[in-house]
Amino acid sequence: MILTVTGLSAVRSGRTILHPTSLDIEPRGRIGLVGASGSGKSTLGHMLIDDLNAQGHSVAHVPQSPDEALDPLRSMAFHWRETEVALGLQPGSADQAGLFRALSIEDGDIRERPWGWSRGMQQRFVIAMALISSPDLIVLDEPTSALDPVVAAATMDLLSSFLDGKDTAMILVTHDLGLAARRVDRLMVMDAGRLVEEGSTGDILEHPQTPAAKALSAHRNWMALPC
Amino acid sequence: MLKVNNLVVKRGPRVTLDDINLSLQAGETLAVVGESGAGKSTLIATILGLLKPASGEITWNGQPVREAHPALVMQEPRAAFNPVLSLRRSVMEPIVAQGTVLGIGCLERLCARLELPSEMLDRRPNQVSIGQAQRAGILRALIAAAPLVLFDEPLSALDAVTQKHTAQLISDLQSEEGFAALIVTHDIGYAVAHADQIMVLKDGRVEETTDAQTFALNPVSPYCRALRDAAISLGALEAVT
Repeated sequence: MILTVTGLSAVRSGRTILHPTSLDIEPRGRIGLVGASGSGKSTLGHMLIDDLNAQGHSVAHVPQSPDEALDPLRSMAFHWRETEVALGLQPGSADQAGLFRALSIEDGDIRERPWGWSRGMQQRFVIAMALISSPDLIVLDEPTSALDPVVAAATMDLLSSFLDGKDTAMILVTHDLGLAARRVDRLMVMDAGRLVEEGSTGDILEHPQTPAAKALSAHRNWMALPC
Repeated sequence: MLKVNNLVVKRGPRVTLDDINLSLQAGETLAVVGESGAGKSTLIATILGLLKPASGEITWNGQPVREAHPALVMQEPRAAFNPVLSLRRSVMEPIVAQGTVLGIGCLERLCARLELPSEMLDRRPNQVSIGQAQRAGILRALIAAAPLVLFDEPLSALDAVTQKHTAQLISDLQSEEGFAALIVTHDIGYAVAHADQIMVLKDGRVEETTDAQTFALNPVSPYCRALRDAAISLGALEAVT
């Protein structure tokens, strides 16, 4: 099923931070929503989650930092159970072992509170919670920026292989075109609250049309290494 | 020249930096990379004199490093400034604190190089963009002509395009002003592209110190190779054949 949102817009303190935006998301779509700070990409991400949930689709959200998703005073087991209940599942019915194995956190003790886990494991736990009910769409907002590089790369690899072959679509919201380019096949470029360019990853990397896409493409990595 | 000899720092019974040695010439850039908790920020705090080493010494041209008034550029540009003061007041603080005199035309020259219009300095930190606030942070670090500037994750709050632009401004200013730069970063791409030497810290110890090109092309230890490969996997560096 194609997910469609139409005419999403947002105004904050009298200023339009998102101009009316419509988009379609195909099943298994791997989409990068990219743009500079303040371009409206996170706003669009949040609004499309609300809109699609209101339409009855299941959409999961992974925030930038696990601190935003986890209560420091509650055990990991509590978070898991609460998520199952919120999704209308029987507690204990989700395939916790399978998800933990897929994200390589099976050694984590779920009786611990978040601070008993490393940050990388916390973030993978949050991703596992997001995947509990095989959502139609998972939206990840800068999911690796709070992690060390080795852990960040491993987390993205584990997520990619888990999603491989599943119908769940993914939107990766990031300022970093270099990160998105390696993980998605379609890019949407935001600038000043508008979706200004959309196309296949290869096209936008090689033939960006708008100033925003040209800047992102030109600065997508620090340097090329002959290796 | 900055010299750190056999530096050991403890927090309570725990050794947070263990036998650190490094040297950094004027005009050169050393990037200190490693995971969270590796001791990167502890190293900066110790060089600044905010933490007392258990043993070892830190000198600038043979004198205690604090006499060189090392400057610091912080990670969160807005949090680094007093929110109720104009940027101009904050930027001038090193001049006031050190009782030195601002060189004629120095402020204008640095503002121009940092692409900060002078009237921008009359705003408060929350009235400028985060990139502008960070450039004001760099201005504050350079205003009193510090010979040694420490950067603690100077780009991590900025977006990818602004990061590259700001890094280039720092490098250009360094060639003109000649300060030594010690940059703590978790961004291996930034370190490889802009540093002369890279020092990898792991669990408070030096894993490897090498020139940036060797690190990028032939990392010696498995850990350094993992860091380099992660940077490629995250798109910070691009591998071309």
